[in-house]
Amino acid sequence: QISERTLRIANGIAEDHPVGDGVDAMTQCVDERTNGAWTINAFWSSALGDDLQSAQALRSGTLEMVISSSSPLVAIEPALGVFDLPFLISNEEEADALLDGEFGQYISDMMPQHNLVNLAFWENGFRNLSNSLRPVDELEDFEGMRVRVMQNNIFLDTFQTLGANAQPMAFGEVFTALETGAIDAQENPYVTIDTSRFFEVQDYVSNTRHAYTPFMVLISKPIFDTFSAEEQQILQECSIVGRDVQREASRALSDESLQRIKDAGLEVNDISEENMAKIREAVAGVYDRAAESIGADVIERVNAELAAIRGQ
Amino acid sequence: MTGMVFVNVVLRYGFNSGLVISEEMSRFFFVWLTFIGAVLAFAENGHLGVETLVRMFGRRGRIICMALTNILILFCVAVLFWGNWQQWPINATMRSPVAGMPLAYVYGVTFFTAVGVGVIAIWRLFKIVTGRTTEAEIAQFVGDYDTIDALVERGE
Amino acid sequence: MTLVVFLSSLLGSMAIGAPIAFALMFCGIVLMAYMGMFMPQIVAQNMVDGANSFVLLAIPFFILAGELMNAGGLSKRIIDFAITFVGHLRGGLGFVAIIAALIMAALSGSAAADTAALAAILIPMMSKAGYNVPRSAGLIAAGGIIAPVIPPSIAFIIFGVAANVSITQLFLAGIVPGLMMAVALLATWAFVSRRDGVEILPRVSWAERGRATLRAGWALMMPVIILGGIRFGVFTPTEAGVVAAVYAMFVGLFVYRELKFSELYGVFLRAAKTTSVVLFLVAAALVSAWLITSANIPAEIARILEPVLDNQLLLMVLIMVLVFVVGTALDLTPTILILTPVLMPLVRQAGIDPVYFGVLFIMNNCIGLLTPPVGVVLNVVSGVARVPLGRVITGVTPFLLAHLFVLLLLLLFPQLVMTPLSWMRH
Ligand code: NA
Ligand code: NA
Repeated sequence: QISERTLRIANGIAEDHPVGDGVDAMTQCVDERTNGAWTINAFWSSALGDDLQSAQALRSGTLEMVISSSSPLVAIEPALGVFDLPFLISNEEEADALLDGEFGQYISDMMPQHNLVNLAFWENGFRNLSNSLRPVDELEDFEGMRVRVMQNNIFLDTFQTLGANAQPMAFGEVFTALETGAIDAQENPYVTIDTSRFFEVQDYVSNTRHAYTPFMVLISKPIFDTFSAEEQQILQECSIVGRDVQREASRALSDESLQRIKDAGLEVNDISEENMAKIREAVAGVYDRAAESIGADVIERVNAELAAIRGQ
Repeated sequence: MTGMVFVNVVLRYGFNSGLVISEEMSRFFFVWLTFIGAVLAFAENGHLGVETLVRMFGRRGRIICMALTNILILFCVAVLFWGNWQQWPINATMRSPVAGMPLAYVYGVTFFTAVGVGVIAIWRLFKIVTGRTTEAEIAQFVGDYDTIDALVERGE
Repeated sequence: MTLVVFLSSLLGSMAIGAPIAFALMFCGIVLMAYMGMFMPQIVAQNMVDGANSFVLLAIPFFILAGELMNAGGLSKRIIDFAITFVGHLRGGLGFVAIIAALIMAALSGSAAADTAALAAILIPMMSKAGYNVPRSAGLIAAGGIIAPVIPPSIAFIIFGVAANVSITQLFLAGIVPGLMMAVALLATWAFVSRRDGVEILPRVSWAERGRATLRAGWALMMPVIILGGIRFGVFTPTEAGVVAAVYAMFVGLFVYRELKFSELYGVFLRAAKTTSVVLFLVAAALVSAWLITSANIPAEIARILEPVLDNQLLLMVLIMVLVFVVGTALDLTPTILILTPVLMPLVRQAGIDPVYFGVLFIMNNCIGLLTPPVGVVLNVVSGVARVPLGRVITGVTPFLLAHLFVLLLLLLFPQLVMTPLSWMRH
């Protein structure tokens, strides 16, 4: 049973982001599976409001879908803060295993109580620090640096704990603030540093990989509930098709972006394992403080799952 | 609010630290100011409008337009009230990311606006229906400003 | 078809005299009903989201700074300063008006407030010296509209938020066009007033000029602080507004001592009222903007404009004509809020630089403040100068043409905006 439907998807990022590839793949899949009965309209660059506003529109059923980074959604489901914890996930393989496995399902199962359905986890990626002051090579280098963080307490706490002067700021204001020197640093995946052209106003990039955040492909539950079982399955499966294309594009682009950042003349540095150990140690307290909002059981669970994935 | 943001600038440059809470709380304060002020502005006919056409009408035409306008406004604020009512449970479960304030306090201000503007519009309609509208009120409706301040307050 | 529904509900409700904020809400509600998704939450959520922005916070502070500047005697000293330098020239008070308008433009973002302050001081002087009063009133109105083009500018902030364009860049890009407007007015005034037999003020000594400069120094420092602060990243545009307000209050209270603590309440109240009127309009506009975007109206217009989308100049000319026509009937803020969500996708699609577009768009909208039937700056100057509106319109015409000439130059030579901007960026 397939009806005519129009699905609007709100996106905070621009169309040339790998999410664009994922949406294309998902659209094509849906088109084939529904014989063109569904129309997917994607809106980019927050044209329909930012991620949190769009997610709220989903909850009230006024908008069909949003592809949102997990971080702003913490305002709706505090447990999602788990993905903001510093140095939780170490590499892409771990991320895929965690998100596509039991823990991902556990998180997805939390969403229906907020009138949201999570169809899949796509990739935002590992976040890295860029700045205009100095290469960040050890813990002391964070000292006093004015770092823009998302309006999110865990990132705030992480960077404050590292000794930086963390400034919450809306994404749209970051470029100008970096350009004019109101802030020194920001942290985002390479792809964002590249596509938002932050490299024009920054001098150093450090491969901190301090957090891996996923995108969540969310649909409004009140709307999803009106879908037939077959329709639900189509959308679910096509979001997985989109996911695989998106992750591949994201990883390819991440390498390309890093190259472009280097070509733009930025100094890119890795952090030695020894120095990284000190940095990790410094932020250990963030986990304890965040447990209150995220839930100690959620943190315990993710640690157990990661231990299993790492074969410990 | 002025103080809070100013202190933030001073702290950031003078002491290299900032009030992380000031950004969020200033925004919320500003939302309250806007939506409470909107009711006062409506009471004073202070919202910007285009009065070119209604000024061409005689007294009767002006009163009809005034009635239609107040019905339209009443409809708009009814939709606003209703929307906020439906949205309430969602906003009540969401907290602002930094200060942790329930967003219902922020969005809830539209209840005040809807009720305030609605009551004024009903009162104006009542006066029109019972023929108690004064010439001064009609003049205000068609944009006859009595002072330059009233014009400057439009913020252009 | 959606376009027709949008336009008729918006224009219809404005025609019966509904305030524009409610007309925008109404047209949003009609659009959602038309699209078969009558959902009141869309209205409730977008109204609040529309006002909930740190960038928009700059607006109340710049409004407050402008109010404090006039109440604190800064405007008066700026005019005195200009008089000592150009007052003795033929047509001198006209040049004073333009130069003072330019300096005040760098302190305030409001055309109506600047025009009111300038007219209140200068019209009696010009009238006494034998100047043609309607023409002088027209000049002051035309000088007043430089305020939103030169930073700080409430109009740029609203456009920047609505169009998602960097406000700092808009601010920097507005400087040269604003200066060009002033130069065009100077030339036009020199031409139209060349035969006026008016009383000329005595030339003053350099010592006197020095004293006037010192007296005005606190006021003249303000643009340096605001622009320098933004350019060199000491503060964001929002914080610049706060600094400007605190600075104007400090100078008015403690340096010039013209501002009394007892007056502060009134100043704050007026600024708060203006803020809520402007911001409520912004909030209501987000409701219609969300539905305009969601209903894909820009795509509908893009289809109509398909043939010209690859010709940037032609598209810009068409848009500028449209803005000018809309500007005759609507003032600055409503035009920005109504047209930005409709035009911006086209501008981006055609590859036009959003900052360049923004500057011309705002300048054109400012010109709309001078065109009948609806032009709030005309009403202000007519009220303050006690000249009937019809005669102010005649008086403003040569200066309006001068501004249009500048606009035409910027259309033909985009580098006039972009080249200085690229210098200022680095
Ligand atoms: Na200005
Ligand atoms: Na006009």
